Amino acid sequence: MSRAAAIFSGPLGCILPAFLLLAWSGFFLTAEDQTSILLSLLSLAGFLLAAVRLGWVNILREAIAVQERLWDACLITIMLALMILFREDHYNLFLLGTIMAYATAVLGLNVQLGYAGVLNFSCASFFGVGGYTAALLLSGTDLPPLLALPLGGAVAALTGCVLLLPVLRTSGHYAALVTMAFALLFRVFLDVSEWFGGPQGIPVAPLTIAGLDFSQGILWGDAEFSFYLKYDLLLLLVLCLAYSITRRLERSWIGLALDAVRSDEVASACFGIHIRRWKITAFTLGNFLSGLAGALYAMMLAYISPANFTFADSLLFLSILLLGGIGNIQGVLVATVLVVIVPEKFQVIQEYRYLIYSALVLLMIVFRPVGLLPRKPRAYTGSPA
Amino acid sequence: MNPLLICTGLTMRFGGLTALDNLYLEAREGEVLGLVGPNGSGKTTLFNVLTGIYRPSAGKITFAGENITSGTPQEIHRRGIARTFQRSRLCLDLSVFDNIMIGNHTALRLDFFHNILRRRAFCRDYELWRDKAAEMLRALNPSLVSRMFRPVGDLSMIDRRRVENSRALVRRPRHPRLHDPSAGMTHDETRQLMDEITASRMGGDRLTVILIEHEMEVIRRSTSHCVVLNFGRKLCEGDYAGVVADPRVQEAYLGKELE
Ligand SMILES: Nc1ncnc2c1ncn2[C@@H]1O[C@H](COP(=O)(O)OP(=O)(O)O)[C@@H](O)[C@H]1O
Ligand SMILES: [Mg+2]
Repeated sequence: MSRAAAIFSGPLGCILPAFLLLAWSGFFLTAEDQTSILLSLLSLAGFLLAAVRLGWVNILREAIAVQERLWDACLITIMLALMILFREDHYNLFLLGTIMAYATAVLGLNVQLGYAGVLNFSCASFFGVGGYTAALLLSGTDLPPLLALPLGGAVAALTGCVLLLPVLRTSGHYAALVTMAFALLFRVFLDVSEWFGGPQGIPVAPLTIAGLDFSQGILWGDAEFSFYLKYDLLLLLVLCLAYSITRRLERSWIGLALDAVRSDEVASACFGIHIRRWKITAFTLGNFLSGLAGALYAMMLAYISPANFTFADSLLFLSILLLGGIGNIQGVLVATVLVVIVPEKFQVIQEYRYLIYSALVLLMIVFRPVGLLPRKPRAYTGSPA
Repeated sequence: MNPLLICTGLTMRFGGLTALDNLYLEAREGEVLGLVGPNGSGKTTLFNVLTGIYRPSAGKITFAGENITSGTPQEIHRRGIARTFQRSRLCLDLSVFDNIMIGNHTALRLDFFHNILRRRAFCRDYELWRDKAAEMLRALNPSLVSRMFRPVGDLSMIDRRRVENSRALVRRPRHPRLHDPSAGMTHDETRQLMDEITASRMGGDRLTVILIEHEMEVIRRSTSHCVVLNFGRKLCEGDYAGVVADPRVQEAYLGKELE
């Protein structure tokens, strides 16, 4: 091992990349004019290409693998630092919140498609089920608002069960068809339903926890921090939980059973693995995460309408997973950040975003089907064996 | 000794094609039963029916005195029947250890509490199985131990077969270990693998094995009793010498001589 490699396999191997990441995102998110945005995107792309060519990515992955806790801490620190940096900036805090809500939903999708191989074309609909559940619970009942989060997840999970159970006995792509139909019908259903506010949508009451109103800014001396900061902190907590659960799931006998079901149903059955049981487990857990994220996201938005949860959004979630590397949760994080912030900041492509995503996904499938960060063989105890 | 496995009148039709035709077959406890027959004679289909992948069109399968005819693959596995596949159905992108643990599924603790929340206990549990798998692999090919966490897709054909064998053996099945190996190996490799299979039987409990093999030499060395299938029917049975000497068997393999 060269000296440089030896240095970067230690703590510095995590801290330095994390610092660069923070510096870049801080700059990118504050950049105003389109040229500096374009330049920072190009420099990122150039840097990443160089990093891949020079093997830096592998050094980083090694460093992360042996110092997982340190890397986790680095990522959380980056998010917290960005929140502090943008404490009064509604727009950027909202973007960060969106990233974290989407990432949580895609982690759910990853359990379904990445592990168990259950194709779900209606991830955004389950996200929406969570959101609408929260909206109705907060306006129509006296339940503690915090309960709306797990209930949003639970209703999404239950809806998923009702959809999937009838087609579990069949083999083939019925799950894909059923979820596709659900994604399309969900939109229509919301549009015509008065109870759900029709096409205009409905307001969502803000979250309050023990008297703390999430729609109020935080007063700090003379300054007033954006109310989004509260949502971001809670979303960060939710994302950390979802991330930790999916990671532990992958590194367990359950994760193994899900992988077995995905790769070979017949062989799995011959070793006593109950295919339907694991498929429904993965689908339910995934939808719970999507619904939970959707409930919190809806509260942050304060107003939701059917246009937030379309089939196109479901495809967006799927493309995040494909881009990041199916089955790799680190890839999910990277891809969510890119897919959410790039079109948001780089207005020129805003209009063509779906076109660009489709092109990217196609290119990915042709040239790098494993995604940006391909999944590695399972390491049950975390550190590579 | 009583037969452990008995099939009576076993018939499997695919549309108009009869892959198994009123088959009677028994496997005695502790024997290695050789199953031979030309291509398409129904050997693999028999395995698929025995393991519950296909539901037979007619007939009955009794295992250890119990009727298992319309059991699901999972139920049949639970009774102690494990198998390998003709085209080794390993999960190529999963590691060697993962593949072996798939065979161990029914012995693993699968509750969320143990797997997600009590990680310390889980890790101890994992380390036990890891050592057990390493021990199995060491007996087959020591170099496999260091590659235990590499994808199976990186291995040579014979090592894949070894992994598949370990997957079928890890649960210490009570019986018929069904083997359908052959494809993709040289003669020497096949012979070596068969020796490993027979050797694995010597370890204490005498497993019953049903072996499908095209190499007659392997059948001669490894099996105590042979059944010859042709067009889904039993052509004849007996010891190796008796079976190869049978003119009907020669005819089935070589075709009828022109008169
Ligand atoms: N799933 C199936 N559908 C239709 N025909 C099948 C199926 N499986 C096997 N067969 C037919 O059954 C016959 C026996 O095949 P098989 O059991 O694979 O033979 P063997 O293993 O002895 O070479 C063949 O004619 C084959 O084409
Ligand atoms: Mg065959």
